[in-house]
Amino acid sequence: MSLPQVVFWVMAVVAVLGGLGVVAFRRPINSVLSLVAVMLALSVIFLELSAQFVFAVQVIVYAGAVMVLFLFVVALLGPVRERSTGRVPFHRGVAAVVVLAFAGLLIAFITSAGIRFRAPEQASLAVFGTVQQIGAGLFTTYLYPFELTSILLLVAAVGAIYLSRGGQAASEVRGRELRGPGAAPATDANEKEDRRA
Amino acid sequence: MPDYGQIPVGSGTLDARLILGLAAVLFILGAVGVLVRRNPLVILVCIELMLNAANLTLITFAAQLHNLEGQLFALMTMTVAAAEAVVGLAILVDIFRVRDVDDVDQLSDLKG
Repeated sequence: MSLPQVVFWVMAVVAVLGGLGVVAFRRPINSVLSLVAVMLALSVIFLELSAQFVFAVQVIVYAGAVMVLFLFVVALLGPVRERSTGRVPFHRGVAAVVVLAFAGLLIAFITSAGIRFRAPEQASLAVFGTVQQIGAGLFTTYLYPFELTSILLLVAAVGAIYLSRGGQAASEVRGRELRGPGAAPATDANEKEDRRA
Repeated sequence: MPDYGQIPVGSGTLDARLILGLAAVLFILGAVGVLVRRNPLVILVCIELMLNAANLTLITFAAQLHNLEGQLFALMTMTVAAAEAVVGLAILVDIFRVRDVDDVDQLSDLKG
């Protein structure tokens, strides 16, 4: 077994264990940290597959930024007790059937001799996956998709700010739930008193 | 006919089928999580896991075909995943500001 294969197997085991942790841990923060482990293991496999730039983006942006956002939200929301069963009847049975069918399909497809790979294209492997090549691809052939993703990011940023801004409506609903129905006029009176004072 | 599934990596080769199998296992784990877990935050985490598995297949085929487009689209997937995470988490924070949710099935207010 050559060194790349050893590295791949180690990272594959780490990734699968991390994936199991994502699903099995009861506390959300453990799930998020398991996903970080999966992403770091996958980034090493990306590097083996000569995807240097994607490796860097995976570590910095994905494991670094997106997962830190998840951690912030977990810390913000606090521990949530998860109930073991949903309201949908035979929910786990349906999930098991769907997943087993899907898993059987995928595994059969991959392990059988049925899958045939196309011959690789002629390309100089010395520069394959470097930042120059990625940049040339993004800014020439795929310029429009690239610009569309930037618009998507802008829309997502504006939407996230709007949603999490916590305007008048959210605090009103929260106050009404805390005080219960029928207490709304009291707030108006309180506000008037505050204004008078 | 040569076996095109062997990807040359450094001093040896990697079998593309193994990497695709790993991606399939990770995707299935993510799907199980989405179907079984009840916490909306963990469901978002499982969606990220599935997106990562899809990225792995894209990059595997890019390396097998010596074609850079797979890597470019993996980058696009990452952008979409980031946007999805940001908006999803913002919605979650907004919901949790009003009330605590420990089960996604509780969020059925729009069901008429």
